[in-house]
Amino acid sequence: MFKSLKSLTLGVVAATLLAGVAHADITVYTAGPQSLIDKMSEGFTKETGIKVNVFQATTGKVMARIEAEASNPVVDVLISASWDTATDFAKRGWLVSYTSPNAAKVPDFLKTDTAVAQGISALGIAWNTKSGTPKPSEWADLTKPEYKDMVNIPDPAQSGSSFELTAALAGQDDFKLFKDLQANGAIIAGANAEALNPVLQGAKAAVFGAVDYITLAAAKKGETVEVVFPASGTVIAPRPAMILNWSKNQDEAKKFIDYMLSDAGQKMVAAQMLMPARTDIPADRPLIGDLKLLKFDNAAVYGKRKETLGEITKIFGGK
Amino acid sequence: MKGHANGGSAPAAWLAIAGLVLVVAVPFAAVVLQGIFPNLGQGSFSGPFSSFVATLNDSALIGMAGNTVLLGACVVLASALVAVPLGVFRALYRVPLAPLWDVLLLVPFMIPPYIATLGWIMTLQPRGYLQQVLGFNLAPFLFSLAGMTVVMAFNTFPVVYFAVSRTVEAVGARYADVGRVFGATPAKAFWRITLPLSAPGLAASLMLVFAAAIEEYGTPAALGRRAGFQVLVTGIDFRISDWPIDLPGASIMSLLLVGLSLVTFLGQRWILSRRSYQTVNGKPTAKDKRPLGAMKLPVVLAFAIVSFLATGVPLLSILATALSRTISGGLALDNMSLDNFALVFQNSAGALGALANSFSLGIGTALITGLIGVTAAYTVVKTKIRGRLAIDTLTIIPNALPGIVVAVGLILAWNMPWLPATPYNTPFILLLAYCCILLPQPMRYAAAAFQHIGDNLEAAARVFGASGVTAFRRILLPLVFPSLASAMLLVFALASRELVASVVIAPVGMQTIATFIWRQFEQGSIGLGMAMAFIAILITTLLPLLLLALLRRSGLVAE
Repeated sequence: MFKSLKSLTLGVVAATLLAGVAHADITVYTAGPQSLIDKMSEGFTKETGIKVNVFQATTGKVMARIEAEASNPVVDVLISASWDTATDFAKRGWLVSYTSPNAAKVPDFLKTDTAVAQGISALGIAWNTKSGTPKPSEWADLTKPEYKDMVNIPDPAQSGSSFELTAALAGQDDFKLFKDLQANGAIIAGANAEALNPVLQGAKAAVFGAVDYITLAAAKKGETVEVVFPASGTVIAPRPAMILNWSKNQDEAKKFIDYMLSDAGQKMVAAQMLMPARTDIPADRPLIGDLKLLKFDNAAVYGKRKETLGEITKIFGGK
Repeated sequence: MKGHANGGSAPAAWLAIAGLVLVVAVPFAAVVLQGIFPNLGQGSFSGPFSSFVATLNDSALIGMAGNTVLLGACVVLASALVAVPLGVFRALYRVPLAPLWDVLLLVPFMIPPYIATLGWIMTLQPRGYLQQVLGFNLAPFLFSLAGMTVVMAFNTFPVVYFAVSRTVEAVGARYADVGRVFGATPAKAFWRITLPLSAPGLAASLMLVFAAAIEEYGTPAALGRRAGFQVLVTGIDFRISDWPIDLPGASIMSLLLVGLSLVTFLGQRWILSRRSYQTVNGKPTAKDKRPLGAMKLPVVLAFAIVSFLATGVPLLSILATALSRTISGGLALDNMSLDNFALVFQNSAGALGALANSFSLGIGTALITGLIGVTAAYTVVKTKIRGRLAIDTLTIIPNALPGIVVAVGLILAWNMPWLPATPYNTPFILLLAYCCILLPQPMRYAAAAFQHIGDNLEAAARVFGASGVTAFRRILLPLVFPSLASAMLLVFALASRELVASVVIAPVGMQTIATFIWRQFEQGSIGLGMAMAFIAILITTLLPLLLLALLRRSGLVAE
């Protein structure tokens, strides 16, 4: 029996070896949707002949991998879901300066020397139209008795944009809105997808600060949800793409950024229900110009991150 | 190092040691070093021990450690309450429909815990499937320690059930009958003879349950956070996912978990070391089972209820979600479609590739861990080699290492710039990760089986001129093979659905079943994720059953 075990092991080993020899010209780590990066790398390879190897996960998992690989990094292009990454990596001196010719139509606040947005998502209220509750129009509406025990809040500790929304709103009234939400039975419910799922089934009526493109895509599939952008303002999350300075394929990486910002690349972004970074690409959804943005001081907000999260934990009770 | 006992132990020992060093010691050493040297990732050994103070001073740590132990203990207790009575009845009595119950109680193994938890949430939350069918919901119960315990116990109790039914059967009615002859009542014979003799299997399985419960991520993350119940693993995950990433802190907290697991393990060893459990001595045993008599109906009812809760509810919930066009449409006939299943078979988002990847990795992992496990168990139980406690300890460490920490350890170890060749960024790194995480399973099962085999069997073979290797291959291996085979099938099932390590360590461009499902959930395609989960569960259940049937036919596995 050992003999058959041995030959089987060898077979498996050989099979996995063969599967592992494919070589790629650039390696992209992305926290964006898998289907977007799949389409984008396919289009890029068709146009340039350069192959793309992709690792896709949440921002946190992508960062954990980069941190663990730090002594021998392999990533050429990183697309994060949080602008904070671009700021932090630039400060560490890990990024290559590059301004793509295709970035001309990207507004100034969505690009720096070392990073440029791929697309933008915004936060809004995701509301189930069949929930039997009135349609909310403002953040504060969710503190009304109609929404008692029916509101989910994505964990600000797990999502950069949720944190910015929390900090911006809490800064306006010293956490009163969040205390009222808690008193009305709202709960912190995991990351974005986890918070939305109960709203789809109807266990909850609304997500306070849902990522818009996931909800819009769900609505497109026929789910009875709607995204409401409160007139008092919300926050956006530009998704920065950057080239790492340890990359041995910087020319190819620059071509990838060019392609990402080309007409074709930006249309793929729009098809995911994200806002394209370029203002001249149309999209079937509200764009930045249609939204009112909350004003807050980015540096100050991130400087007090720990205190803000601590206060939220205190309000929503880590028992 | 030389073998004193039955000779022939040297090759087995060396094979075990080499395998364990590669699969367990290397990533574990990387984790320990990361804990001590915070800048190891940058290839620097500066500032040793500087992270210890900050991590251990965190006031939340004691609460998390306490919650971890509490949850582990609750799950062990609940699993034992459900599994031990069922296992004993299955072993000693003729339970009607016994093979059916075995299959139904096998399925929870195959349901990934995070999927089962999501299934329970979608069933019990307000307007969930239970409310849609029966008009009420159990949300307050679900999002509590009790709810977490029940969900996790339904996932893990089969480990105890199969261990108990197999060992009690092996111990057999034979020894209890001897007791009866000498005047013991049936109850007394059971408590004083059968149960104590079954202790190795029971203790080993309860330990696996405890280790699995303190290491489990999905359920505490989904249910516990809402109950304000933080455990060490969710704390570790937070340190690894929240920028700036705190790898040293996560490593130190993992070492704490390893410590917890080692304490349980030493407890189990202490129970086992107090006496001999050898029951297989070459004498023929009668495998006659008793009729249940008046107990028939209640026992069958108990089997049916447990099977329904452990297998039926999660599976039905998964299936209902997979068949729904939209989640908000609910359980309505016009909302049902096979679209999600069609998408999987049209290879949407690389679904078929993910299935193939996971199943080949599962087979590879089962074979490698089986080989290392059986040689390590033999070395530890049947030889007197010095350092066998170290071998035993090495096989227990992975039990307590959260998957994500194994992944980080493997990256740290295999991504050093000076390595001439590395498995990192090839599928081999996943194979290494799965072998590390799952090695304890075959090791524990094989060790429990070896405990039951009398030394005189091997000695007899040696007297008649068999070499050590021949005695091992012809006598011992066939005797432990049933246990080993079921452990390897379990490894196959667990490996083909591993999530937490796979997400971080998967080579670029490679998907497994679990990462596929997870990505679908992240993007809001819950139905597609559930369709994939259902197909994977079906295959991981049917494939091992088919294999077992074939083995039985060829006479390799009895009964």
